[in-house]
Amino acid sequence: METKHTGSKGAEALLHLSPGSSISVAYHPVFGSHDDVILLELDEKLLPDVLNERVIVRGQPDEDAVLCTPSKTYAMKFVGTSNSVLLVPPENQSKSYENLQESDGNDDVKKVVAPVIKVVPGYMELVEVAPRLDKLKSLLLENPYKLEEYDAGDFEENEESRTGLYNWNNLIDNIQASDEELRSRLQSLSAVEINGYWRLVHESYMNMILEMLLRNSVLNDWLLDALNEDEVVNMLETDGFPGILARHCLHVYGAKVDDSMDSCIWKLDKRRVCIHFAREILRGGKRKLESFIDEWRQKTPDGMDPTFDLLEGEVLTEKLGIETWVSAFSVSSLPSTPAERFSILFRERPRWEWKDLQPYIRDLKVPGLSAEGLLLKYTRRTQPSSDAEPVFSAR
Amino acid sequence: MQIHIRCNCGEGTCQEWGIVELQGIVEPNPSFHDSLQNLHIGTLCRPSSQEVYTFTVGYHELTGSKVPLKKPLLVLNKIKKQGGESGSSEVELRVVGIIRNRILFKTRPKALISSNTSLLSFPLHYIVLWSNI
Repeated sequence: METKHTGSKGAEALLHLSPGSSISVAYHPVFGSHDDVILLELDEKLLPDVLNERVIVRGQPDEDAVLCTPSKTYAMKFVGTSNSVLLVPPENQSKSYENLQESDGNDDVKKVVAPVIKVVPGYMELVEVAPRLDKLKSLLLENPYKLEEYDAGDFEENEESRTGLYNWNNLIDNIQASDEELRSRLQSLSAVEINGYWRLVHESYMNMILEMLLRNSVLNDWLLDALNEDEVVNMLETDGFPGILARHCLHVYGAKVDDSMDSCIWKLDKRRVCIHFAREILRGGKRKLESFIDEWRQKTPDGMDPTFDLLEGEVLTEKLGIETWVSAFSVSSLPSTPAERFSILFRERPRWEWKDLQPYIRDLKVPGLSAEGLLLKYTRRTQPSSDAEPVFSAR
Repeated sequence: MQIHIRCNCGEGTCQEWGIVELQGIVEPNPSFHDSLQNLHIGTLCRPSSQEVYTFTVGYHELTGSKVPLKKPLLVLNKIKKQGGESGSSEVELRVVGIIRNRILFKTRPKALISSNTSLLSFPLHYIVLWSNI
């Protein structure tokens, strides 16, 4: 394969040309378009990730490819050039330098040759972007885990029951995000891995489990901020719920406070439990504020004492005549790309006060754009007088 | 779909490739259009110990310099692998080199005259500047 030719040195000769000398730049014996040779520009800090094979390109054929490191996502953009960029490989990558044609008769320039293998039309550059995770929820909603599935003795594997199910590898094949970003979104969506597949558990089923857990804690005098995992799970299993979902229920509505003993101790999270019951009540549609608050207080466990500020980013209130109405509007159901997010927000309500708007945009993260930048780009800010609250409307 | 980026070179030992960059296009003499392989393009000369270079292409001489790239460029090779049983082909990117410097010619070419005319009576290449098109 490699044919050494006296004096031919490839890229080395080009890069280490000694003062007072010259080399011939010539077309490579296999000069061509070589579309399979691609240049990728990247930050020095990303280099170790690439060289240690910790990066991967993800995307469906109809999507723009992204490059993922273990924790971040980058869009790959082609940057073209009108310059002539002559690419010279190192010597051992060049198959042969033989048969160099007689050039312009200048003998001393033929000894050392920098062979040009292709003229490069441009390169790919990386731009850090927010992970494209909106598809994840819809994939997981294709086949959420329901009560019937467990009752049907689900755990046997068959083709039919697997439709609409995604394991980790299926997800990374479909979602343009880094591993870390995908894991964190699975967690914030309260997904759980059951038999190797990542699942969302149907809301009504989660509600049943949570209500049963709360009922058991009353019956057994359990403290909601010191729940013993083994006790809770055993009891829920006796009540007919799968152990994995009983544990999942603790993860979704609680936090581990102590795992130093044989069995973990969990504390139910007031905010998450209260939001859960507010959603349950508003599932049927909007409600008058007073009757909503009454039912909400009734449903939530004693001692939690829900206050309306817990529902920031979960509900909207509006005044109709003298009545105030409450309706469900959860930030977690909104798209994560700013343009789509703002378009839905302004469709819901043409004008927003800052205190109402803030809970619905504070999670938006666009690399290179500040919160103020986002507002400038997607909203029009009006302030009737200097002491009035600013109001945001669509641009 | 996922495309792995493989690297055999390991950190630090990635082979460096070179770039010679000039404005406009290098147009080969029409008589060579079909057989560019091995054809001499021009002579690159480093007259002094400074990182200043001249590039002589046909009747023209360019002056430029070696410039480190702000960010390195990786040279990737796209490889189609035949996947086992399914027969489907899998694509993989392989790192084959890195570029950290380019020799950049951004000045207008200077015309070479008289004394060399006999040597250059049959230029292999012309430089066509974008401003001349």
